[in-house]
Amino acid sequence: MLTLTVLSGLLLATIAIGTAAAIVAWRERPEPGAVPLVALLVGQCWWSIFLVFDLEATSLAAKVLWANVRWIGVVVIPVAWVLFSLEYTGRDRYVQPQYVVLLSLVPLVTVALALVDSPLLYADSRLVYEHGVPLLSRTPGPWFWVITVYTYLLGVLGTIPLLELIRTNSLPFRGQSAALLVGIFAPWVSNALFLAGLIPVSGLDPTPIAFSISGLACLGALTRFQLFGTSPSPNPRARRLLFERMPDGAVVTDGHGNVVDINGTAADILGTSAEDALGNPLRAVVPDDSLALTEDSVPAQRPFRSAHSERLYDVTVTPITDVRDRTIGHVVTFHDISEHVRQQQRHEVLNRVFRHNIRTETNVISSYAELLAGEESRDAADEITGSAARIEDLANQAREIIEIFEQGRQSIEPVSLESLLDDGIESVRKEYPAARIDCEPVPEEIAVAGVLDPVFENLVENGIEHNPDPNPLVHVEIETDGDWVRVRVVDHGPGIDADERLTLERGTETPLEHGSGLGLWLVKWGTEIAGGTVTFESNEPTGSIVTVEVPVLSRSDSPRDESAAPST
Amino acid sequence: MSASTERARNALVYSSAYLSLIAMAEVLIVSALLSLPLTPAAIVVGLVVFAVYANDRIADAETDAVSNPGQAAFVKRHRGVLYVLAAGAYGLAVALSALGGPVALAITLLPGTLWICYATDWIPGDGAYVHRLKDLFLVNTIVVALAWAVTLTFLPLAFADGALTPSTAVVFAYFFLRVFTNTEIPNVRDVEGDRAIGVLTIPVVFGVDRTRRILLGIDCCTSGLVVLAVHIDYLTPVAGLALLAGVGYSLGITSLIGRVENDRLLAKAAECEYLVAFVVLLCAVLIA
Repeated sequence: MLTLTVLSGLLLATIAIGTAAAIVAWRERPEPGAVPLVALLVGQCWWSIFLVFDLEATSLAAKVLWANVRWIGVVVIPVAWVLFSLEYTGRDRYVQPQYVVLLSLVPLVTVALALVDSPLLYADSRLVYEHGVPLLSRTPGPWFWVITVYTYLLGVLGTIPLLELIRTNSLPFRGQSAALLVGIFAPWVSNALFLAGLIPVSGLDPTPIAFSISGLACLGALTRFQLFGTSPSPNPRARRLLFERMPDGAVVTDGHGNVVDINGTAADILGTSAEDALGNPLRAVVPDDSLALTEDSVPAQRPFRSAHSERLYDVTVTPITDVRDRTIGHVVTFHDISEHVRQQQRHEVLNRVFRHNIRTETNVISSYAELLAGEESRDAADEITGSAARIEDLANQAREIIEIFEQGRQSIEPVSLESLLDDGIESVRKEYPAARIDCEPVPEEIAVAGVLDPVFENLVENGIEHNPDPNPLVHVEIETDGDWVRVRVVDHGPGIDADERLTLERGTETPLEHGSGLGLWLVKWGTEIAGGTVTFESNEPTGSIVTVEVPVLSRSDSPRDESAAPST
Repeated sequence: MSASTERARNALVYSSAYLSLIAMAEVLIVSALLSLPLTPAAIVVGLVVFAVYANDRIADAETDAVSNPGQAAFVKRHRGVLYVLAAGAYGLAVALSALGGPVALAITLLPGTLWICYATDWIPGDGAYVHRLKDLFLVNTIVVALAWAVTLTFLPLAFADGALTPSTAVVFAYFFLRVFTNTEIPNVRDVEGDRAIGVLTIPVVFGVDRTRRILLGIDCCTSGLVVLAVHIDYLTPVAGLALLAGVGYSLGITSLIGRVENDRLLAKAAECEYLVAFVVLLCAVLIA
């Protein structure tokens, strides 16, 4: 009798917790999964309530009646579990009326068989007495095993999507799914023990008692882990949306090279449609070898010219691997590089203009100025020659900037800082032999981006060139903390105009607010391409201090090659 | 009043906890009127009343902000806890009612089910808008009166496995009429708010003066019913006296409708009618 009292107490706790959890879940409608969760909890309560009625009844007929009605709740649980799992994890496209009806067919047959007390469900029902308490003991019929297997099958199906969430990085989702899985495993284990005959009390299925754990887990998930407040349901649709609407083309192939997914952009690039491409070999969509899939386990890049859009693409073929690192398919992405290539072509033309044409023209101007120079026109000729030289300098700087941009696009190659500074200083010394250039010793092992070569040379040259002193002085200081190196170029010239500094910091020029040339822009852009920053300060009493701070590169750093596309 | 006492008073009044105490007193009255043994029915009804009214206050927190700002503020501040407490209370009530058998369970589920129909647009709208029963004239009050009269009368009966008798019908009719009156009295206070949101109540349709006369008429009918029931031996004279004391108290309250400033206090006073009947009944039993 004591056992019965304890059992009833546990069942009442199950009903109370389950009902409370169902009411809390009911409030969360129309959040995905809320309605199936309510159905699941109601099913659990139904099962428990009718077990109470069964235990309270004394006659065989009454016990059989309540046990049969109990089946309504029993069969609701697995169907609701699967629907909840699908909706909650964003697979709601499977939660359509036709699928729900299909899922409910076996349960409906079971309820019908239970309500007519069919021998297909239970071959025999009798009373057994445990410590004087009458309990219903039933012999399962063939359909009992059908619904049992079906219930367990749905239980597994509903568990799979939630197991995926356990591995996510999101703590709330992990907590939610763990609570829900505990909630479903507890009654599952109890029922399995009962079916295996491991429960010592004959005729007593303890599954409803374990529902108290389910109810607590659901309440915990709802209140502690905000089950419907933070939901992963948008994720699958978001991934799909991203795949469909990404500006790059993307094709997914299986291990046999057949197209299993393709977005609209890729279909346009390949001049096909999703309907035509899906299920067919990629080779059939693109007959030549330009998209041939390899067995390499690292992503491969190659150019691809679309015959349908006349544009050039950078194609990346990335292998998809399983848990054993076996290649099970590929993702082929198409990145439009037509604009990049056009830009490259423009740079080449500009480079040629600055390198040859302007130099040739300024040479011609200087030569003719010399020819025309007489005693009285000497000053005018010198002015013309000086202007032509400045034009040539400007052209050289423009060409250097274009080269910096090209280097930045192609690779960041580590070069010894010592050699960069030595080369730059040597070059300036040749041009200005009267200048004094002091440079602190540079640790040999420090390497920086090779793109900084013209940066340092320009800074040292600026410090000398603009200083009216016949023996101008520039001091170069080096400071490093291992990861970053700061190169400080200190001069004693007139300094950098405050407006020009502001323009450089702002990064853009206007017709009214602009710099005096290209030199400082070259310094700024070159430093930024090297991954660093440049700051300008005033020196006391005169001059400027320009600090270039850039990351120290490892010698083993391989050049970053971003230009797989050919120049066309 | 100290801050802690003030908080306790607010929790008791605004959360509807005091209503559950009154409801428990009503079940004890029913048990005495029908000579039923004490069962968990009183606790079940108390829990259900708390759950339903707490939910009702949560659902109406926005509209109550005009007519009852203190209660609305309390409910908004403790919305989450109040909802979980209400859900737990209803869950416990359902669990306890399972001990009373299927009929007790069904009766316990009735107020919750009717509340869903009464207070929420719970049917998903696919173009066809389904009105809350709360918005329909007279249906709203009848649904409330019916739900509570059934619960109060038949739940103790179901727990005690009692038989249906003419006395049961009298008790049911009495509670139906009392709950009807007590549901309309607070509507006098809410007349502006109800009119604004389109809820049709007797004060909204007939005005305050005619409402007072209608409710006084219902009180008189209730008194007649009690006198008749005592006369034909469906109720004991002691029980009749207790019920008449409650109705007499109600007549006094009803006659003040539209004549006092504090409508909110009037509504609270009306809800205490059953306490008057309970005290009189208790005194009578003790004296006897």
